[in-house]
Amino acid sequence: MTLLENFWVLVALKALVIAAVVPLTALVLGYAELKISAHMQSRIGPYFAGGRWGWAQLIADGLKFFQKEDIIPDRADKAVFKMAPALVLMSTVALFVVIPFSPSLRVRDLDLGIFYVLAISSVSTIGVLMAGWSSGNKYSLMGGLRAAGQLIAYELPLVLAVVGAVIQAGTMSLNGIVEAQAAWGIPFVIPQFLGFVIFLIAVLAELTRIPFDMPIAESELVMGYVTEYSGFRFLFFFLAEYANMFAMSAIAATVFLGGYWAPGLSDAQLQYLGPIILVAKVFLLVFLFIWFRWTFPRLREDQLQSFAWKWLVPLSVLNIIATGIFKVVF
Amino acid sequence: MTTSPSDVTELDAFAATIAEAVGGEARVAHGTAKVIVSAETWTEALATARDTFGLGYFSWLSAVDWTSDVAVGDPPAEGTSERIEVLCAVGDLDGRLVIFSTDLDHDEPRLASLVPLYPGANWHEREAAEMFGIVFEGHPQLEHLYLPEGFVGHPLRKSFPLLSREVKPWPGTVDVEDMRTPDEPSTENPEA
Amino acid sequence: MVIDHDQVRHLSEVAVSVELETPEMTLNIGPQHPSTHGVLRLVATVDGERVFDVKPVIGYMHRGYEKLAEVRTYPQITALINRIDWVSGYANEIPFIVAAERLMEIEVPERAQYIRLILTEMARIASHLVFNASYPLELGAATPLFFALRERERVLDLIEGVTGGRFHPNFNRIGGVKPNAGGGPTQRKVSQDLPKGFFEETRAAMERVLSVCDELEDLVAGNEIILARTKGIGVLPVEVGAAYGVSGPNLRASGVPFDLRRIESYLPYDRFDFDVVTAQNGDCWDRWWVRLEEIRQAARIVIQAIDGIPSGPLQAKVPRVIKVPQGEVYVRAENPKGEMGYHLISEGGQGPYRLKIRSASYSNISILPHILEGVLVPDIIAIMGSLDFVLGDVDR
Repeated sequence: MTLLENFWVLVALKALVIAAVVPLTALVLGYAELKISAHMQSRIGPYFAGGRWGWAQLIADGLKFFQKEDIIPDRADKAVFKMAPALVLMSTVALFVVIPFSPSLRVRDLDLGIFYVLAISSVSTIGVLMAGWSSGNKYSLMGGLRAAGQLIAYELPLVLAVVGAVIQAGTMSLNGIVEAQAAWGIPFVIPQFLGFVIFLIAVLAELTRIPFDMPIAESELVMGYVTEYSGFRFLFFFLAEYANMFAMSAIAATVFLGGYWAPGLSDAQLQYLGPIILVAKVFLLVFLFIWFRWTFPRLREDQLQSFAWKWLVPLSVLNIIATGIFKVVF
Repeated sequence: MTTSPSDVTELDAFAATIAEAVGGEARVAHGTAKVIVSAETWTEALATARDTFGLGYFSWLSAVDWTSDVAVGDPPAEGTSERIEVLCAVGDLDGRLVIFSTDLDHDEPRLASLVPLYPGANWHEREAAEMFGIVFEGHPQLEHLYLPEGFVGHPLRKSFPLLSREVKPWPGTVDVEDMRTPDEPSTENPEA
Repeated sequence: MVIDHDQVRHLSEVAVSVELETPEMTLNIGPQHPSTHGVLRLVATVDGERVFDVKPVIGYMHRGYEKLAEVRTYPQITALINRIDWVSGYANEIPFIVAAERLMEIEVPERAQYIRLILTEMARIASHLVFNASYPLELGAATPLFFALRERERVLDLIEGVTGGRFHPNFNRIGGVKPNAGGGPTQRKVSQDLPKGFFEETRAAMERVLSVCDELEDLVAGNEIILARTKGIGVLPVEVGAAYGVSGPNLRASGVPFDLRRIESYLPYDRFDFDVVTAQNGDCWDRWWVRLEEIRQAARIVIQAIDGIPSGPLQAKVPRVIKVPQGEVYVRAENPKGEMGYHLISEGGQGPYRLKIRSASYSNISILPHILEGVLVPDIIAIMGSLDFVLGDVDR
């Protein structure tokens, strides 16, 4: 008991848990993507690895990445090239810090929780830009610049979309937002439906998933900013992509779907059931993302820009105004 | 399957009209209309075809090397005069197609480019230039299309040897080399 | 002093745009690139995402078929030429064989002509299914690929059942089709025709093809993003297309019913009821739609042909050693990609004196520098994909 109350032990323990959770979520979501996409396309998907249903497919893939040669292009800016994947993965790991899995199971409840999330999630774009620039490849450069342009376009609606929920909750702490929903008795997705939809679209753009995967755009830019990466550096990007998908879905679930809270459960029950409820909600959103990816084609960069500036930003501002009026009137 | 007689007369008449307008000679055989013009009137003839007869569809342009200096393949029939024949097929979108033909000097073939008339001639002329050594005057970029830069020779000229055949002769009937040594029994392919 | 405000604003804009000017960049797309369908290389000059100028570089796959044809006998050449456009290998053989037959003045038996027609239309279905599958993939949608290729495999199975080859049938003979189709040397003469159950399987396969067309239409045509990416992109006016020699579905999408199946008489298409599909705008979307609709028309032709196929011999009487009389002929056919023709010059030997191969993709992509000027980088892929070319058909 005393050991667990020691600050440093606790920090080390939490760091270890996150270090284990991040690759684990990436593995699970990566496997889900393989299987779900396969069934959407009348295929079976991974089948043999691990003996049954191909469950070990991604573990095998991960091990394969470690065996691969780590190729750094001759013309690359080596220091930046090496740093970029680490930065991308780091920003993802940092996101997990504030996700509340239950009333008490979290690394840290920051007063500015949601603000922190939005700030940290844009750091990964810096990493992407670094990767694109340092690779010494024109496709990578264009991919990196597209990612940067995309950041500017979607970051604004992303922030504006949560403002409505924050106004309603009266707090920026993620735990506070969940508690506000519990106090209300309904998740914010119902009063803040517009905000929820805008947030999801912006998150898709942040995750650079189809229909907003222009920075990667396999058929145009070969692989965009990851073109020159191989081996475990590529694995970093891969892990970051799926862990980021989990983290952003968890944020969306927390802010709009009630997070770990479910109606009719006491606080004590939520302590144990909270993580399960949150993961279930996350999977619902992740399924949606996977569904989008295998259904939609890719937009063009200029179409994304005009969509973000002409539709998402005005709509989210409208949402804020409406929320504000309701907050004052009622 | 051959073209029906009514089509043939129609094609005959059409080819004759064009030939008359461009000052050439019409030959129709097997459903293919060919108008032979002189090299000097080449661009005028095709301009007339395009503007007066509405043959705005550029099908293809190529050449034939008529020579008895043959490295591989069969030589032409006796008495063929040595020349490079340029063929250019143009048509309209109703289905009429006429092949224009002109003869060039075998050793130094030069011809005016059709690119100003038909932009589609660009690649076809580049191909004919590298394959036959024809100089198309007025072509915007007469460089190699298929062959690497610095390639020597013009592969579709009859005098250009086929390297793979030089290295390993093929026991076929069109071969110039005789595969059989005197003491070996005949292995001629009964199918051929 | 009167200040012309319009002019002042204009000048300031000029100053800003000069300051913001960035150096041009040369972007080398291909020869190894996911979307160039093989080894096409485009040297594009771009400013950011805007394309100034595109120079296609071809020839990475040039195999010199025109030269090789000069040293082969006529029966040997069919094995070469069905490797030109390997996505619809069977259709390549037809114009060449018909050219030789015209010079030899051979009348091909009806049944053989019908079999040729059925297989040609199946090759068209297979080729267009590949296009309808891969084009959404180039725009980022992966799922239609699996739907279309699944049904294409059934069509290829049928072609394989008749000819023995999925891609390279080498099935036509001068004077007819290969007489011992579907059987080995031990099989009796009477059964050496179309394989057993071919008609029922074909009918079933055509039903599947028609239903996958509906599925593809749902998946692709019902998608706002695909429409936004393709409508009004890469518009090709008819006159420009014709002057470049663009043919086939690419030209029909611009609004002309230029279909050699109706114009030329290389196969008995005049006996069948089918529509020449055209569209109005000539953009990427129309080119996709025309090909989809052509699959349906081709399936219609195949069903009519298996209903009306006459019985009879598969081969006309031809000499054992094929020698083509002196003469020259140009025969063109409506291949899936466009006009495919052979200009055959014979000097009376066992092989041609000169064989000019006019392939569709070669002329179709020669328009790329014109049509890609001023577009955005993603549109390069959208437009290039919509022209539906095969590198073997470009380089020959």
